[in-house]
Amino acid sequence: MDTAFLIESVIKVHIVLGFVLLVVPFIVWMERKVLGHMQDRIGPERVGPFGLLQTIADGIKLFMKEDLVPAQADKVVFILAPAITVVTALIATTVIPWGDTVTLFGRTIPLHIADVNVALLFVLATTSMGVYGVVLGGWASNSKYPLLGGLRSSAQMISYELAQGISLVSVVLLAGTLSLAQIARQQAHMWYVVPQFFGFAIYVISGIAETNRAPFDLPEAETELVAGFHTEYSSMKWAFYFLGEYANMMVVSGVAITVFLGGWNGPVLPPVAWFLIKLTAFLFFFIWLRATFPRLRYDQLMAFGWKVLLPASILNLVVTAIVVAL
Amino acid sequence: MLIPAFLFAMFAGIAIGCSLGVIFHRNPVHCALLLVGVLLSVSGLFILLNASFLAALQVLVYAGAIMVLFLFVLMLLNLKGENPLLTRGAAKGFGILFAIVVFVELLWTVLSPQMEGGMAASPTVPTGFGSPAAIGRVLYTVWLYPFEITSILLLIAVIGAVVLAKRKFG
Amino acid sequence: MTPAPTVPLVCYQILAAILFTIGVVGVLVRRSALIIFMSIELMLNAVNLSFVAFSRQHASMDGHIFVFFVMAVAAAEVAVGLAILVAIFRNRDTANVDDVRLLRG
Repeated sequence: MDTAFLIESVIKVHIVLGFVLLVVPFIVWMERKVLGHMQDRIGPERVGPFGLLQTIADGIKLFMKEDLVPAQADKVVFILAPAITVVTALIATTVIPWGDTVTLFGRTIPLHIADVNVALLFVLATTSMGVYGVVLGGWASNSKYPLLGGLRSSAQMISYELAQGISLVSVVLLAGTLSLAQIARQQAHMWYVVPQFFGFAIYVISGIAETNRAPFDLPEAETELVAGFHTEYSSMKWAFYFLGEYANMMVVSGVAITVFLGGWNGPVLPPVAWFLIKLTAFLFFFIWLRATFPRLRYDQLMAFGWKVLLPASILNLVVTAIVVAL
Repeated sequence: MLIPAFLFAMFAGIAIGCSLGVIFHRNPVHCALLLVGVLLSVSGLFILLNASFLAALQVLVYAGAIMVLFLFVLMLLNLKGENPLLTRGAAKGFGILFAIVVFVELLWTVLSPQMEGGMAASPTVPTGFGSPAAIGRVLYTVWLYPFEITSILLLIAVIGAVVLAKRKFG
Repeated sequence: MTPAPTVPLVCYQILAAILFTIGVVGVLVRRSALIIFMSIELMLNAVNLSFVAFSRQHASMDGHIFVFFVMAVAAAEVAVGLAILVAIFRNRDTANVDDVRLLRG
């Protein structure tokens, strides 16, 4: 393991980690502003120019808030659960390629932290570990609404993981590799969204359900089970859950961009710029969905995932396999 | 040279520690979480053995699905720790004795001279060993029948689980 | 060609033996059906580790295929076993294996 590789990996980890942690407050601001304008109001505008410092103010408030642990709660698991959510989301960001190679000091450095030859499986595996953060948070709170919310939310996440995985497999059939860097490189001429339009739609819908975002956010909605699995969480642990949720949104967007929307490929601008543009567009799409659609009821949600999305993704896979074989 | 040995020691230590925790903890949810720790460290050991596809599969299937099923059942049945923890008296003694016998037998087989000759030479493997392509090449040609039968087995298991756990009305 | 692993493969086999034995102790000594299930999973994982180490030893993918099937069968077994456990629990309100003894002579 030569030191140059170690140094460049450490720098890349810092860049990605810093990006995720710094951009999440920006996404929160963007969500509040965009939701506000779509709902014919302004959103935060007093703290800082255009309300940009609102999230920082919220962060300071959360930091100062009293950190409650319910008396009968299982303390170790209670503290561990939000950590699992954040850690799995951050680990999944290590394999997403955010640009082509850069040449510095005579070395070509690929712009992803790890080049794993099973990168797509790695992302699926780490996001499936993210279910633990939710189910343990619900259980450790030792209270009925969080338990129900946690169980519902994790059942939803496991159900939609299947359709997500199978829609990605259809692209793997076309690409011939599981490595995300290779898949991004192969889309220089045609993005995979063109032959795999239905796969893209299925992946996006199941990605939204995976991250518990509207319209699939019944388990954490405030008008339903009080606040679902994070009812008993306050201050920084609650902030961690939301940091994890937004990091998960970025992972889902990152994978969708890399696999379907051409990754960092684009005509004039540098690759990293194109990746950021596509990422921002995707996050805007997530927020747009939240402003537009009503919430799905839980049984409608599960029925949709098992009876519509899963057969659709399998059909997509079969058709792709037939076309590829011919 | 040093880093793989350190990684092996770390993963092995975590695996043994967590597995001892699984069999000695009182709270079943803690046991389940420690078992997840064992599964993740075994996945790390798979990566050290160039089995990258199996490592991802271990996390995805075992740690990510099977253990979640365990946790669901634990939470829905609301099982607390049992009291007393272990079997009483003579059964416990016989159990531990039997386990020691099994361990000695396994060590005997693993360290025996015939094995020694085979295991001393750790060969190089072709690149792409343990990749999905390599598994696919063998799975869909040589092992096709077991593959199809396993898919039917999984279907039977799904139907069986639904039927067994169904609440009978009236 | 990928070079040989720097840790001798005997170490993996010994670790697998240790994990298997701990699983055997768990099955024989604990009384809660769920913990017994978990100990069985521990034993299956020890066997998987052994298979992968041997497969690396002989540079053959057959060991990996075995592990693949063991994982699939373990998933099926856990699903059915937990369903049985849930059915028993619903009838007798206990998950203790010593309490389910009506067929005992």
